[in-house]
Amino acid sequence: MALKRFLMRPRFIIYAVVILGFVFLPRLLSTFNLILFEYGLTFAIVALGFNLLLGYTGLLSFGHGAYFAAGAYGVAMTAKYFPAHFSLEILIPAALLVSLIISAIFGFVCVRHTRIFFSILALALSMLLYALVFKFYHVTGGSDGLYVKIPSVFGYTFEGVRRPQFLMGFYYYFLLGVFFAALILMKGIVSSPFGKALQAIRDNEVRAELIGIRVRRYRLYAFIISGMYAGLGGALWSFVNGHVTPDVAHWVFSGEIVYMTLLGGFAVLAGPVVGALIFTFLKLYAMGSTEYWMLIIGATLIILVLVLPAGIAGGFAKLVAKISQHFATRAA
Amino acid sequence: MFVTPSYSSIPFAKSSRVVQRNEKMWPIYILNGLYFAAFIFLISLGLNIILGVMGVLNLAHGSLYATGAFMAAWTIVALDEGASIFLIYPALLTGAVIAAIFGLFMEYFLIRPMYKRALEYQLLITFGALLLFEDVIKMIWGGEALYASGPFDVLGRIHILGNPYPLYFLFVMILAVVVGISIWLFMVKTKIGVMLRAISLDREMATAMGLKIDKLGTFAFVLGAALAGFAGALVVPTTPALLGFGMEPLILAFIVVVIGGLGSLKGALVGSLVVGQTRSIGIALFPEIELAVLFLIATVILVVRPQGLFGR
Amino acid sequence: MSKRKMDRRQFLKSAGAAGIALGAAGVSGGYLRPKKAAAAKKRPIPKEPIKLAAISFLTGAAAAPFGIPGMNTYKMMAEEYNKQGGILGRKIDLLSYDEAGGVDAQVKLCRKLILDERVDVILGYISSADCKAILPLSDELGGLIMAYDCGTHVLMEGDASPYKVPKYTLGFRTKAHLGIDNVGLALFIKKYLPNIKSVAGINPDYAWGRDSWLIFETTMKKLMPQVKVVGTWWPPLFTTDYTAHISALMGAQPDVVHSALWGGDAVTFTKQALGMGFFEKIKMAWSRGEPYPQEVGKEYPEEQIICCAGTHYFLYPPHDKWPLNKWFVEDYTRRYGKYPTYPCYHAYQAIATYKHAAERAGALVGGWPTIEEISEVAVGLSIETPSGHLMIREDHNGVEDVLVGFSKRVSDFPFPILDPNRLEVFPAHMVNPPVGIRTVDWINGWRA
Repeated sequence: MALKRFLMRPRFIIYAVVILGFVFLPRLLSTFNLILFEYGLTFAIVALGFNLLLGYTGLLSFGHGAYFAAGAYGVAMTAKYFPAHFSLEILIPAALLVSLIISAIFGFVCVRHTRIFFSILALALSMLLYALVFKFYHVTGGSDGLYVKIPSVFGYTFEGVRRPQFLMGFYYYFLLGVFFAALILMKGIVSSPFGKALQAIRDNEVRAELIGIRVRRYRLYAFIISGMYAGLGGALWSFVNGHVTPDVAHWVFSGEIVYMTLLGGFAVLAGPVVGALIFTFLKLYAMGSTEYWMLIIGATLIILVLVLPAGIAGGFAKLVAKISQHFATRAA
Repeated sequence: MFVTPSYSSIPFAKSSRVVQRNEKMWPIYILNGLYFAAFIFLISLGLNIILGVMGVLNLAHGSLYATGAFMAAWTIVALDEGASIFLIYPALLTGAVIAAIFGLFMEYFLIRPMYKRALEYQLLITFGALLLFEDVIKMIWGGEALYASGPFDVLGRIHILGNPYPLYFLFVMILAVVVGISIWLFMVKTKIGVMLRAISLDREMATAMGLKIDKLGTFAFVLGAALAGFAGALVVPTTPALLGFGMEPLILAFIVVVIGGLGSLKGALVGSLVVGQTRSIGIALFPEIELAVLFLIATVILVVRPQGLFGR
Repeated sequence: MSKRKMDRRQFLKSAGAAGIALGAAGVSGGYLRPKKAAAAKKRPIPKEPIKLAAISFLTGAAAAPFGIPGMNTYKMMAEEYNKQGGILGRKIDLLSYDEAGGVDAQVKLCRKLILDERVDVILGYISSADCKAILPLSDELGGLIMAYDCGTHVLMEGDASPYKVPKYTLGFRTKAHLGIDNVGLALFIKKYLPNIKSVAGINPDYAWGRDSWLIFETTMKKLMPQVKVVGTWWPPLFTTDYTAHISALMGAQPDVVHSALWGGDAVTFTKQALGMGFFEKIKMAWSRGEPYPQEVGKEYPEEQIICCAGTHYFLYPPHDKWPLNKWFVEDYTRRYGKYPTYPCYHAYQAIATYKHAAERAGALVGGWPTIEEISEVAVGLSIETPSGHLMIREDHNGVEDVLVGFSKRVSDFPFPILDPNRLEVFPAHMVNPPVGIRTVDWINGWRA
């Protein structure tokens, strides 16, 4: 009994410390590193949603960049064509809507298949979007991309504020808020009967069908939810980056999303968050220190797959489990 | 007179349609399509062999193609300016050889440990290999473009219906046909070929019957890699070997696999022809759209007949 | 040191007092410093070297014909200036970076350079796509950026004429934009090939290609309205296989083909086209073709129309009339074994603009100038370059003349040069739009 209470307390202390840390981060980090952290947060949202599809439903999509692009381009095209409506309270729902539509369409086609078919199909569809965005130069800016300026929020325009100030001030807390909301929402989804059904589908499709779970439909829902998370991440990312290009719809970028999720570990809920943050800093550190940074990223991925398939958070969770088990057996 | 008041570079604007005046160019367009199809055929043949026999979608296949190209380009450049034909052409084979070697390493260190694991890990590890290869190529051959036009210049041009056409393109097409037929014969007539097909049809049964899955898998991977490397070597006399230029052929090979069917060699042939001709004719008639057309076709096929034209 | 134990309250009090004092000092200090720099005391010139970041393509197709010559010139000029004592006595520390990796990677790099590394100036960018994305960062992040090679005219233009100049307080383009190339080509074609009936275009599918064709087509409509456009092709940047495009062009049978292909793309296209017999019937009009005869070598075809992105050519201005060009060509050739091409001249212009602007601003403020001061002073600067004179205008663009010619084989050089009997130099006022007027509007406003 006493042991149980002892084990429960540290977790909440850790949560509190982490949250406080996030809140006070702008004081601690330099502008540059804070912007990097914000990139990491937007990717964390994407990876969180992606893991619903990969970790909980067992479907590996190499094309989720398409939905990220849907959100990002949703924002950028609104800036270009509807500049009067360029405010955050319209843009975020718009991005969610666009990514909903596209992931619903693409997902409908994809979930009729599994395993390798599914992965290739998702890849091919994202490359279709890439090719279309690339070629329609006069609409989307083609490979040059589109500029994304600072949005207004409920009528308040950030007149005269430079982007670094914007990102260090209001936007950071906004992003943090959205991130926590997304995290809590995902926790809710995963613990719900829907989430349990997804895991059942992942573990044994035939048995799930026999129990009465509508496999294809649930897969589609998971696909759409993960697509919307990706679109949300994309929209939030576009303000940090200031610029969107078709590259985010390319399959290599989708591969990075997979990488992040795996890096953190897809068995743990917060795993993808950890993975996204680490990947963002890892990539920049590698790019800054050597011209052969792709070698580092590639080698890290290979080592990860070979040695630590549960990812960093997964591996850490296992370690913690081992330690507490050790204490448990000792106390017993 | 300019037809539109605004810019002819807008897609689908009237003046962006090409005014086709030379009907005699059509054989050239078809030939170009075949030429392009030849490369894509070799690459997707390799991809399909690996996919069929081992069930692995090799995302690093384009990198093997690039490796073959760089090796062949480097070898041809290293040979003297006036080296004889009997040296330059075999130099192209070095591309296949080096890709085979890389493939061997890849299979042994990366793919083999993944046999027991889920498919996702295989995809991820080949993705990691792709990133790795980009920089390995950069480390070995440097960052600049390598031109090696020896084999192309030597053959010169012939005239088809009054239009000049490089003989080298015909050479490549013939070579691709030869390779295709050889692989087919190999698969059908030789013992190893039959065993490979058995594994791709039903892996469990093949294991139960005592086939050496490991060794045959390695063989299939190396063969697929060699084909990719050979394709890369063949392209080098006309196009420079560049960092990152394996990406486009990889995507095109995926499209072929999608259109033709996973693991199907016949599908690779048909898919390559579709891809090659679509590109050639598309560029001739609808230059605005280029690559997007191919993806559209692939998507339509995927929706209508998801296993591809000849897939199972 | 005495070990006095301060209790918490005392500590907070003294810390607060110190904070208020510092704050007051800072605020009053800022307030009291006069706006006009001329009235201030001499500002100290820092001893550390100037961190000058140079960004150019060091790998990939664009490296050998373009990015590397540009970077070589930066190195060469940095050394020259350091030999002469640096800028206002400060040595130049040249940091070189690769422009490869795509627009996104460049945006992140630029941010890192300005925010993290705090470089004094960024000279760089060949690709118009990179420039379009990066120039807004100059004002956003507060860093001085001088684009040295990109050409798209929309970079500094507004949405309608007249537009407010400058678009970016801290962003410059130390050369003229693609207007001069394409207007120049049209003027040249009108003079030397007045009887052609059709043109086609093959241009890379991004800002540079799209905008080059736009200006060329608009100008041709004005100057030679009887000429038809038989087709336009848009291969993506860094395409390696042009065979289908070449055949398609041959099928469309234009008299002249306009192209803004550059770098490795231009070389690959030319080589493939040579192999396919393209040049038997068709002429190319290259909006920036000057480096490629040297790159391709003696097989480069004759009678191709080549524009020099300005008047940048190793033989022009003639060495006996313009010693700076003589020095530049000889020094570059001695160091790097090739004749300098227009990226080299552009790199010279960028670093020379920075040097002269910094020196002039430094003389005015009596010390090391801020980047805002350098920007103010750079406008209206006229600099001597190996190609002639460069002027930086209020819209933060450079203004230059343009040189166009036909390629011709001569015995003195191992590759074709521009035929000296049919060289045209179009003066700046003919090929540059007036300040604040969009290029397209300016051309459309010509009286025929």
